[in-house]
Amino acid sequence: MRSVIRTNEFTLAVIAALGFAALAVATDFNLLTAGTLDAFLRFLALPIVIGLAQMVVLAVGQMNLSVGVLTGFCAVASGWLMVDAGLPAPVAVLAALALGAVVGLVNGLLVIFTRINGFIVTLATMTILEGLRYGVNGTGTYQGYSPGLREFGQASVAGVPVVFLLAVAIAVAVALFFRRTVPGRHLLASGGNPFAARLSGISNDRALVLAHTLSGLLAGFAAVIVVAAFGSVNASIGDDLLLPSFAAPIIGGVALAGGMISVTGTVLAAFLVRLVDVSQSQFDINRRWVDLIIGAVVLGAVLLGQFRDKLSGGSR
Amino acid sequence: MKTETAPEAPAVPPAAEPRPSARALPVWANPRLGLLIVIAVLVVLFSSLTPAFLDPRLTLAPLQADISVYVVVGLAQLAVLSLGHMNMAVGRMAALSTFAMGLAYDRLGVPLLVGLLVGLAVGAGIGALAGLLIAKTGVNSFVVTLALDFGLLGLVTILYTWATGGVSFAVQPSGLSALRFDTFADYCMGEVCGPRIPLVVPIAVAAALGVGVLFRHARLGREILMTGSNTVAAELSGIPTHRRVVAAHALSGLLAALAGFLLAANNGAFSANIGESFLLPSFLAPVLGGTLLAGGAVSVLGTALGATLTQVIYKGLNLLQFSLEELKLYIGLVLLAALSLDRLRALLAERRAVSSS
Repeated sequence: MRSVIRTNEFTLAVIAALGFAALAVATDFNLLTAGTLDAFLRFLALPIVIGLAQMVVLAVGQMNLSVGVLTGFCAVASGWLMVDAGLPAPVAVLAALALGAVVGLVNGLLVIFTRINGFIVTLATMTILEGLRYGVNGTGTYQGYSPGLREFGQASVAGVPVVFLLAVAIAVAVALFFRRTVPGRHLLASGGNPFAARLSGISNDRALVLAHTLSGLLAGFAAVIVVAAFGSVNASIGDDLLLPSFAAPIIGGVALAGGMISVTGTVLAAFLVRLVDVSQSQFDINRRWVDLIIGAVVLGAVLLGQFRDKLSGGSR
Repeated sequence: MKTETAPEAPAVPPAAEPRPSARALPVWANPRLGLLIVIAVLVVLFSSLTPAFLDPRLTLAPLQADISVYVVVGLAQLAVLSLGHMNMAVGRMAALSTFAMGLAYDRLGVPLLVGLLVGLAVGAGIGALAGLLIAKTGVNSFVVTLALDFGLLGLVTILYTWATGGVSFAVQPSGLSALRFDTFADYCMGEVCGPRIPLVVPIAVAAALGVGVLFRHARLGREILMTGSNTVAAELSGIPTHRRVVAAHALSGLLAALAGFLLAANNGAFSANIGESFLLPSFLAPVLGGTLLAGGAVSVLGTALGATLTQVIYKGLNLLQFSLEELKLYIGLVLLAALSLDRLRALLAERRAVSSS
């Protein structure tokens, strides 16, 4: 029991629950009305998936700076497929996922073949994707595409938005992948200690490529969520996703050095960031205060984690 | 065509060789030489495609002013890359510092130089704060500066709204417009006028020289590099590594503030959007110039050349009517190509060095 209480996830869960309760009281329980709660969860789906997309590369000690822009690119590309090319929605959805995975694969291959730091490789692909994302449709907006897909984005099951359930399902799948599957364990082993992993017969290169491909695939899922839930897409999507993509795993206790992940922590951290977001709109606070607060929270979470590590290190 | 590379490329030798074995490598293995050739080829290409590229007043003078800003931006990143750290807040540190400058000019009416010094002090202070957090807690510099960037993003906008009610100071300190528009050609001694080089260029050259000398000859700079290359060994050799980390980050903040000032001078306004475009170029310039992310080695000349290359591409494609987004596409491709080629060259050079020894 004590070991559960002392985990990072438990702390986050308590903070998230307290924050949610406090916000609910402060808004005269407006937060708990069906409409507000629905919007709260619907727009929580994107931060969760984007945070997971960053987390899977952090697991092998890499970073993916292109994750936000890739989401935007996949979203705009699927908009183009539906509106300009006239293809049905399922094709566009599969194309968005495939596109994300392929770009991720390219990222991974570039990292292992050039041996350039992943940070720099994804910085370069981010820049390239920014150009491509804009190249699809300029500043234009795609809307009025597939009613079925947009209905999926607005649908709810028992008051819970379907896109949120999709995000939770993705989170569960990612957790199972890292916990139960051989490739998932290999990723963590490679991220934790590449040398030991190699001696145990694990290919570090394969782990890197797999992690980047997965990250791209998750960005593709994020794009599908955007297309379905937002109802319109344009070239600015993804610009404001890069920092949240790091904020969620880092607050969630994922180590940048690799080898250690926390799906629950990442999801809870995305929830916390969303809480800050909602309080901003509920109380009509200047948007900039939110950035200030999130910056402080990230720093605070990291410092707290460090402090706790020191304490547990001392008691050992 | 020498004119636009020469002033930006001060004769500072690279402050440290990329690898201990690099001295034994052949001349063509020097990444700086490759950059110089690429820049020369691009200048020839752009000037043959559009003669406007060689227009001294409309193209070359603004190009030099732009290069000056981004050389200093690159140096700001280089200051922490020397440790193997990153500064994700380089743009926002510039924004906060230029806010301090604008405030000093607007409220106190201080002369240009005093305001600059105030801004530099603020930049160095916020950089030192980042360094202190990193050194004291041992948290990854990426996380600390990313969080700082988030925080400053909010703070800068709030401060501008508080102080100006908008996003920019209306004040124009005397001397700012000279920095913005004048070149040395406007100053004559009798019959002899200076070359058509903007007044901001010498500031960037001085910064590059200063950083070059610091890392090559000064004890502080050498100790920072040693800390970056092997912290434990540096600590055991009696170097106060924590203080060196703080110093490198303070230098990064100081240079970011200087870059913010140069951009404000080029734009003619102290506004909240200064620094927004700094992050990518700040990595591009040093990395293109052969500075490693691992730390322990820096190349000031390479950074200057890297900044020149990116700005030449921007300017050339801009004149050829490419849109900003297309520019990004090509800059990204150039970065990937340059880095892959660099990697290939290093491999070839290593192989040759091994086979000849």
